Formats: sequence, C-alpha cells, structure tokens
Amino acid sequence: MSKGVLVDMTKCFGCGACTVACKLWNEKKYDEVNKPTLGEAAQLVDINWTVVSKHDVTDQGGHAAWRFAKKQCLHCVDPACASSCLVGALRKTPEGPVVYHPDLCVGCRYCMVACPFNIPKYEWDKSFPKVSKCQMCFTRVVAGEQPACIAVCPNQVMQFGDRDQLVKVAHQRIAAHKGLYIDHVFGETEVGGTAWLYLSDQPFDKLGFKTAVPQESLPAYTWQILSKLPAILLGWTAILSGIYFINKRRNAAAEGKLDHTGGPQA
Amino acid sequence: MWYRETSSNQERLPEKGLDSIGRKDAEEGGSFGAGARLGAMKKRARQVGIKRREMARDRGTREIISAEDVDDMETKSNKGLPCSRRFFLKGLGAAGLSGALATLSGCKDAGKPSGGEGWTPQQYNAPGSWPVQVRGRVPIDPANPSIVRDDRKCILCGQCAEACERVQSVEGFYGLPIKNDITCVNCGQCALWCPTGAIGERDDIARVLRVIGDAKLHVIVQTAPATRIAIGEEFGMPAGSIVEGKMVAALKMLGFDRVFDTNFSADLTIMEEGTELIGRIKAAGGQHDGEGHAPTALPQFTSCSPGWVKFCEYFYPDLLEHMSTCKSPQQMLGSVAKTYYAKKKGIDPKQIVSVSIMPCTAKKFEASRGEMNSAGALAGNPELRDVDFVLTTRELARMIKGKGIDLANLAPQPYDSLMGEGTGAAVIFAATGGVMEAAVRSGYYLLTGQNPPDALLNLTAVRGLQGVKEASLEVPGFGELRVAVASGLGNARQLLDQIRADKQAGLPPRYHFVEFMACPGGCISGGGQPKTSVPPGDWVRKERIRSIYAIDATIYKKRLSHENKEVMDLYAEYLGQPNGELAHRLLHTTYTDRSGSLTAKNKA
Amino acid sequence: MTINGTRITFRMTPFRLVLIGFSLIFVGIVAYRLVNGLQMTNLTDAWPWGLWIYVDVKLGVALAAGGFTTAGIYYVLGVKKVKSVVKPAILTAWLGYCLVGFGLLMDLGRWYGWWHPIFSWGEHSVMFELYMCVLLYTIVLTCEFAPVLFKGLGLRKVSSFFTRLTAPLVIGGIALSTMHQSSLGSMYVLTLGKLNELWWTMLLPILYYSSAVAVGPAMVTCETALAGRFFRHEWDAPAMTYLAKWSGYVMTFYTVLRVGDLAVRGQLAALFALDTVSVMCLLELGIGCLLPLWFFWSYKLLGREMTKTMIVRNAVLMVLGVALNRGNVVFTGMAKAAGASYFPSVAELFLTMGLISVGILIYLFIVENFDVFPAHDQHAASGPAQAHG
Repeated sequence: MSKGVLVDMTKCFGCGACTVACKLWNEKKYDEVNKPTLGEAAQLVDINWTVVSKHDVTDQGGHAAWRFAKKQCLHCVDPACASSCLVGALRKTPEGPVVYHPDLCVGCRYCMVACPFNIPKYEWDKSFPKVSKCQMCFTRVVAGEQPACIAVCPNQVMQFGDRDQLVKVAHQRIAAHKGLYIDHVFGETEVGGTAWLYLSDQPFDKLGFKTAVPQESLPAYTWQILSKLPAILLGWTAILSGIYFINKRRNAAAEGKLDHTGGPQA
Repeated sequence: MWYRETSSNQERLPEKGLDSIGRKDAEEGGSFGAGARLGAMKKRARQVGIKRREMARDRGTREIISAEDVDDMETKSNKGLPCSRRFFLKGLGAAGLSGALATLSGCKDAGKPSGGEGWTPQQYNAPGSWPVQVRGRVPIDPANPSIVRDDRKCILCGQCAEACERVQSVEGFYGLPIKNDITCVNCGQCALWCPTGAIGERDDIARVLRVIGDAKLHVIVQTAPATRIAIGEEFGMPAGSIVEGKMVAALKMLGFDRVFDTNFSADLTIMEEGTELIGRIKAAGGQHDGEGHAPTALPQFTSCSPGWVKFCEYFYPDLLEHMSTCKSPQQMLGSVAKTYYAKKKGIDPKQIVSVSIMPCTAKKFEASRGEMNSAGALAGNPELRDVDFVLTTRELARMIKGKGIDLANLAPQPYDSLMGEGTGAAVIFAATGGVMEAAVRSGYYLLTGQNPPDALLNLTAVRGLQGVKEASLEVPGFGELRVAVASGLGNARQLLDQIRADKQAGLPPRYHFVEFMACPGGCISGGGQPKTSVPPGDWVRKERIRSIYAIDATIYKKRLSHENKEVMDLYAEYLGQPNGELAHRLLHTTYTDRSGSLTAKNKA
Repeated sequence: MTINGTRITFRMTPFRLVLIGFSLIFVGIVAYRLVNGLQMTNLTDAWPWGLWIYVDVKLGVALAAGGFTTAGIYYVLGVKKVKSVVKPAILTAWLGYCLVGFGLLMDLGRWYGWWHPIFSWGEHSVMFELYMCVLLYTIVLTCEFAPVLFKGLGLRKVSSFFTRLTAPLVIGGIALSTMHQSSLGSMYVLTLGKLNELWWTMLLPILYYSSAVAVGPAMVTCETALAGRFFRHEWDAPAMTYLAKWSGYVMTFYTVLRVGDLAVRGQLAALFALDTVSVMCLLELGIGCLLPLWFFWSYKLLGREMTKTMIVRNAVLMVLGVALNRGNVVFTGMAKAAGASYFPSVAELFLTMGLISVGILIYLFIVENFDVFPAHDQHAASGPAQAHG
C-alpha cells in the first residue's frame, strides 16, 4: 500500500500552484529573488521543497517549446538517505513518504552526500539547521488526503495512488498515446524505484533530471558490507585473541615465566 | 517510532522504566548536574576519610579523583568508614547515572516529522484523491508585460483560473503540452478577481516618476475614457463618481507637462474606423473606392481592445481580415503626439515621453508591440515608441496617494489644448456597445451627410451588460445596417464561432460591424480598474456605465466625433483625409497570427 | 602541583607561542560557530562536506591508525622491538581521536544532539557504525593511555588496573579500528553514481582499511622522526626498520588491490585520460604507492637495509599519498556530481589549524610531563625542546 505519484509533464503549463501549496502547507519562506520556485533559475533549496523548473526544448513537430518539470524529493522505494542516517531521522514510511524527524537529526549531512538525486538541502543560515526536503505531506497522506501540491494542480498533472498501480497506469498511458510520450517511466527502476514517477514527451535529461543513476537500490550495496561486519568483528577478535595467546605462551616459555602485565609499563 | 520499518524493541523498552527513575531522581534534587554533585561527594569523601584503596576500587566514582584529592587523601586517610555510608554513596551514584541515561534516552523519541505546520484552503483538505473543483491558478510568464504575481500573497483560491477560463475562455481552451508561450491575452481580469492582490499590474510608477523628474524631458499624459468614472472610488467616493476635472488637476500636480484626453483620439478613431467601415461596405456592394489594399471583409471588427485583438490573433487568426486596421485610441494619440504635436510645439520627438492612464493591463502589452512605433518609423528612428509608459487606473491612484494628494477635494481643471477635446461619442468608448454607438452616429453622417436623428443618440439596443447584443438600423439611402456587440471574451467566442461557421458555410455576412471588448462590460470593468468589488460585481459595472452615459448625454456639449474641432484641425493641418496616406502610416496597424503559439482546442 | 614527582613544565618557545595564538583564535571561532552555526563555512548544498570532514575526520582517523597498528604489532604479534614507539603512538592516536571527535562535533549542524545515535540507532547506516566505533575506540584509547596518565598523577593502583586491561583493550581496539577504518570507505559505497569511478568500488572498505594499516606506522615513523629531532631521542633503528617493512608490505597489498580493481573495472583508460580527475588519481598513486614502493622494493630486492632518511622519506610519501587519496574521494571524485566549486573559508581553515595546534600543544605537554618516551630520555626532554620546539 505504498503510495506514489504519477507526474505527466506534458500537462504542466507552469503556473507554480504546487510550489505555493507546498509553501503554505509547510510554512516555508518565500524568496523569489534569490531562491525562485518557478522558471529557469528554480532550484530546490532549504525553503523550496518543490520547484517547477522551465526548460527550452524542441517539440515533436520540431518547434521550439517550453516544458516545465516539477521537482521535489522522489521518495525512493529504498532510500539512500534513510539508510545513511545514523540516528534514523530519515525514514521510509510504509505509506510511501520518506520522512525527516528534525528532533533526532544531529546534522552530519551524510544524507546529502548519499542522495543520488542531491535532494536534501540544508538550512545553512540557521544556528541549528535542519535538513530540508519534501515530506510528501506525510501527515496528509496518513489522514487519507493527497499531498498539497497534487490537490491544487489545475491541470491534474499529478495522479496520487498506489505506486504499483501507477506504474501500470503509466505504461497504459504510454501505449494509449502512441508517439506522445517517450517510452520510459522515470522512477520505475531508477535507484531501485521511486514513489514519484514521471512521464514526458522529452528526454528526461533535457528536463533537468539526473538520468545517470544506478538502476538498483543503493542501500543494498552498503548492506552487503554492513551485514558482514558482525561476523568479521567476532572472527577478527577471535583470531587476534588466538594470536595473542599463542605469542604470550611462546614468550612465557622463552622467558620461563608468565608475564602478567605484558605491557611496556612492566 | 510507531511507523518505523524495523522497530527495535531492545532500545525502546527500557525507556519508560528509566524515565520514571529519572523523574524520581530529579525529585530528590539529584538529577545529573555531575560537576556540582561530584564536588559535594568529594568533600564528603574527604570528611569521612574514605580510604584511597576503596576509592580506587569503586569504579562508579573513579573519575572524581583529581591529583589534589589524591595528595590530600594520602596524608589524611586513616579514619574508618561505615559500610552503609559507602553503599549509600554508591547507590546515589548509580541512581544519578541511570537518571542521566533515562533523561537522555527520553529524548530519543522521533518527535514530529518536519513540515505540515501550515494550511491550505478548505477545498484542498479532503480525504481521497478526487479532483478539487476550484483549484490552482493561472500561469503567468515572468516576462508578461502586463501582469505580475506575488507568490507570497497567493492563497490558491482558484479565482484567477475561474476568471480566465469561465469569463475569458482562455485557460482550458488550448491543448497541452504547451508550445513556447504561456497563452495570455493580458486582459488582467485575473488581477481584478484576485482577492489578495497577489496578481496585479506590472508596476511602472517608479519609471514614470523618474521621467517626470527629468527636466529635459517633455512628459505628456493621456487618460482613457473609463478612468474618469472609476478613479474616484480609490479615494472613498461612490462607485461611478465622475472625477474628470479632479483627475486632470491631480495629473498636473504630479508634474506631467501636458494632460491630454484619449477621448480626442477616440473621436479620431471613429473618423478612421467609420471611414474604413464605409469603404468595406461599399467594396462589398461592388463600389470599390480608395485603397486597393484595404481589407474588404465584412463584418468589420473593432480593434480598440488589445486583449480582444490578441485573443483573435491566438484563437481566430482566420478572422483577422475582419479586424479594423485602425489602431486603438491610445496608440493613435501616441503617434500623433510625437508627430503633429511635436511639430506644432517645435519639440524634438525624442524629448517627448508619452504616458497613458488606462483602465487596462493589456494596454501595457499593446504599447510594447513591435509595430507600435509609427511616429518613430516616420521620423527614421524606429526605436522611438508611440507610447512609452502605460499606467493602470490603480497605478495612477497609488501615485496620487503616494504624493499625498486628496483627489476628492481638488478643484477641477480642463485638459490641455491640441489633443484635449473629446465628445460624448468618445467617452462612451468606455462602456460595452459604446464604440459601436459612436461609430453609428458618425457613420450615419458619413453615409448620409446628415447628423443622426435623436433616436440614434440613445441606441439602447447595444447598451448594457448583456454578453452579446444585436441591433439593426435603417440608414436612409443605405438600407439596413446590422451590428453586434460582445463584451467578455467568453461571449465573444460564441459570436466568433457563429461568424466562422457562417463563413465556412459560404453564407453572406450576418453583420456589417461587430464591436468586441475583452472585458465584461467594456473598459469600465477593465483589468486595470479599481477593485471596488471583488470579484468584480455588476453593481459597480452598472454604476460606472450609468456615469459614462450621463457624461455623454448631459455633461459634454458635443456628442458626435466628426464635430470634434481639434480632430478636424488635425486632419486639416496635418493628416489630410481620414484613411489617407499619412493617416494610414500613423493610425493604422497590422496583426500577427499567433495560432502557432498554442494548440487551440477549436480550430478553424 | 607535580607529575611524576616533578613540577609541571611547559617551556615557551616562539613556535609554541604561534600554536597558542592559533589555539586562541580557534577558541574564538569555536564559540562563534557553536552560537551561529555553519554560516561561517563555505559549505553549500552542493558541498555539504568540506575541509572539516576531510582533515578533521577522514584524514585524522586514517593518520591516527598508528595507534592500533603498533599496539597490535607489539601486543598481539609480540614484536618486542617496536616497544619504544608504542606509547607515543597510542598517545598520538588518543589525541588524534579526541580531536577527530571534536572536529566532528564542530561539523555537526545540531551538535547538541551528538549523543542521539546512542539512543536512536540507525543500524542500516555506515555512519552509525562509524560513530559507535569511534566513540568506543576513543574510550578504549583513553583506557590504553590511562596507565601513563594515572602513573604520572601518582595513582599507581589505578594505573595498574588499566595495565591489566591492556590485552582486551588492544584486541578490542583493533577490532573496532578494523570496523571503522573500513567504514570510512564503505561510507562512499552509497555514492555510486556520484563518486567518480576511479574511486568508487565495492572494495572501498578494504582499500581504506589496508591503506590505514599501512599509513599508521608510516605516520608513527614521521612523528618519531620529528619528536626525535625536538627531544634528541636516539633513532630506534630496529623498530623503525620493522615499521617501514610493515608499511611496505601492506602498501604493496593495497597497491596491487587498487590497481587490480581499476583494471578489472576497466578504468585504466580513464586513469590515463589526463584530465583533472585522472591527474589527481595518478598523483595519488604515484606519490602514495609507486614511489615509496619503488624505494622499498629496490632496497629489499638488493638486500640492502633502508637508511633512516629512506625510511622517513618513504613514510612521508605514504602519508601524502593517503592524504591525497582521502582528499580525492571527498573532493576530486565528487566534484562533477556537485556541479559547483568549493574552497574552505578562512574560518574553516583557522578552525582546522587551531584544532591541530591544540593537539600539538597537548601532545607536547604530555610528553614533557608524563612517561611517554623511554625513561632515559626524560631528563633531556625539556632542554632540546626549547631549542627546536
């Protein structure tokens, strides 16, 4: 029952209502001069959990066209940020959203390094900064409501539902509109899948998407290593102890007595 | 914690238990102010003469032994120690430690997730993923010359989108994905509907104040017909208050060098447009006179409303041949000011800054259109704009307020001469049907050589707020003149679809002349007018229309455009004939097919 | 007050005055940072980690690896000839980890919550494992060094209590070090797709661990050489030669693994592409691996004993190589993914310099007043320090 969102970028005309809904619901500050939420310069930053970026492209008729891409945390199925967090401040909820708990966070920013899409941002100008990223309106989702940005969209660019279902819907839509969409659902397999899925008539890298990402879950890589550590720890300790005792016995035999302290202090 | 994927019981269970211990400990006044307590313990240890050996063995208190203590103890440690005391101290230490741990572990609760402290309007807060009825907002290109939006004030009430789609039939009438343009006719109705003022006109006040402050520049200003019955509302006067003279006085106080009236160029427009209409009608009847290049299609559409013009360019490019080639009154006055007026006054056109006060945001767009540089083109200086700055009525009100001028209590002043005279036929341009009525008055004269009868001076069939109005008039020596009037682009669309269908079916034109106004009710309720009621109410529109017709009927002396003395002087001294060569270069324009900028939903 | 029965000494020299100056600036910056947050840094959303993570944490931990390696060589492997370097190595490791801890604390945006990981486990996080290991290992190092401290304070019983714990402490310390030294590498396994392929490999933990094991003794060698000059200690040739060999063999293992990994992953072409990334990688491999190994193996194969100069030079090269490697992972390899540039701010530089200054001052204080170096050097300590320190 993990929720997801299907974004059809061909339907977006760039009104930016979603960005305002996000600011209203999450009480984020506005700074259209330095941190715009809409247009070519739109960037996810601490106060912008979602932006609509504008891209000059060539449409299928060969004409110059504009495309708008709604950007926010993609809420990975198996999020690298959550696996990176040493206090569990970032968590993948069963409902789908990847949620951040500031009260736990110690501010190491490993999540920012770990995120394959560079989504988590930081409140650099605060004394005790928080990590800042889309929460997929977790409290709304839990209450059975759609995330704020989706509810306000005048063109219903976004469809909210069960992720598994939406993957099917996405492929059906590609098949039903032959030639409109490129045959790829962004987020279906990227980094092992994301809750937000995108349809586009333009190559995704032209819309500012990071397409050169692994197609497998990243935490799985780390887990391959981490899961072996307890065994290594125990084994290594046993081996070291063994060597220690063998050497101690040998030394004792050589010196003819047992050296209790064994240290250089002796 | 409650939704954590891998809930780890081992770290959660001791929490409550320890917490209560911690609290108990806190009640004892113990807590874990380690420094202070340990200091106290040190003193006590010294008092009782605790043995150094025992102390060293006691791991719980090991770290409190400083070098000084050790020295002290080595010299003074000989007394015995009751076992119970030592146990008490140990117990206290253990309690303190567990208290500290409990207090700390109490904080490991995940706490509230980030975000979600704010609000969204009620319609968006409902369970399920059903689409919300009234939602979102209109897209606005940051480069839009007419309107801007301040996101900080936007509450996503959806009113702008309602106005754009339901009233103006723009949003939702083109297909997605979009092309390289955000479809907007610049009408500004969204700004009029916006309850928080998030959408407003692009503010040009500062730029105008700068040119006024420049002594080298000759700054002229023109005021549209609809401004004089609306700006008073910004100063606490009742809706529709007529404040023409007061407004002129205020403009002079603001430092404009000359105050002209767009009524003057409205009369000029009637001369040009009326002549053009008669030309088209004659051409349709086989009598070709004058320019061979003049469009001959009937009906002729009025072209004074730039929002309507852009709408036609977007959605009905196949009907652009019906559009009168006449510029709007604003642009006519602009090009005449930098030619005729400059010549008469001996001022270098480059020194003239032309400002207009308009009830309209689309006028800002119109003034910025590439082809609106006739005066400059004529003088070989195509950079020169016919109109340099357009201020809305709201901006003028802000400007006047900013200077601390109380408009309501100013003594009225007249417009300046040369381009200051206007007739009743001009002032009714402000109301829907007004251009049509004015054109009929002078058209009658042009066709018959006689002034129209009184019945034609009160053409009630084309007056009022009805979306589409039709009238049929009997003109002696000509026959039946069929006209139609539409205001509000949604209404215009109905009429246009009908005209398009007739045309495609090869039917004869239903009308000779059709007036279109982008805004419901015409300029009196333009996108740049005072927001006396939000969303704009018909009661305000009616009051303003009433005042407009009152000016025509009772205040102005003249009611016919061809009786405007200054207009006649302009023709006699400079332009020559209406629709003549120079008139064509200065007062007429061309249009752009914009259908490539969007995918219109109902194409020709 | 006395330590080891003598009055506390701390000689002032111009060099130490400079260090004290840096330390005072450091205190000011720390206070400012704790109140005002990270605004004083040049860190951005594109570069969430910068100089502090690199020097104070990544490099600090790697270079403090001398503690567990020499302790392991001496106690576990029973190689008694390295005895003279064990205590100084543990001291520098202990100080190193304390400074790493402090540096990390400075880097934490919400530093007051530094203890949260103890109670809220992110058990899937390499960072969590790193945190726990560093925390525990710092405690272990404190206990390992405690005998010297308590002995100096005259608490012989406490001292001998800790001395009895030495064996489990050393073995535990090695185990913890193995975990977190490799974790510093595992941390970047998660940056697949961001970290340049010249550095990203599943072998990162092994590479980090082996390079730390190699560079630890090398760092001890450098420190011993420096301390030897300052305090006019005798050059303990057998110990140093042993450490040089140790580093040489382990570094050989590391180099074979590193280059082999690059070859297997088909990155050799990228390695010789001669763009910024490739040049930095070549520099790292050249300085840290090939040069020292060339020297090491040429002597070895010719059957010659390495001279003191050669040993120290090799050690310096390896330290530089590891510094380059860690820097390349943190900066060079991540630059493209960051898409922006980063250079530390003055405050960042001064905080790092101040942190190191504080470390050196504490080191000097401890070696002058406690029984760190072999006893026969004790009385000569303060004089030469004045001359060189």
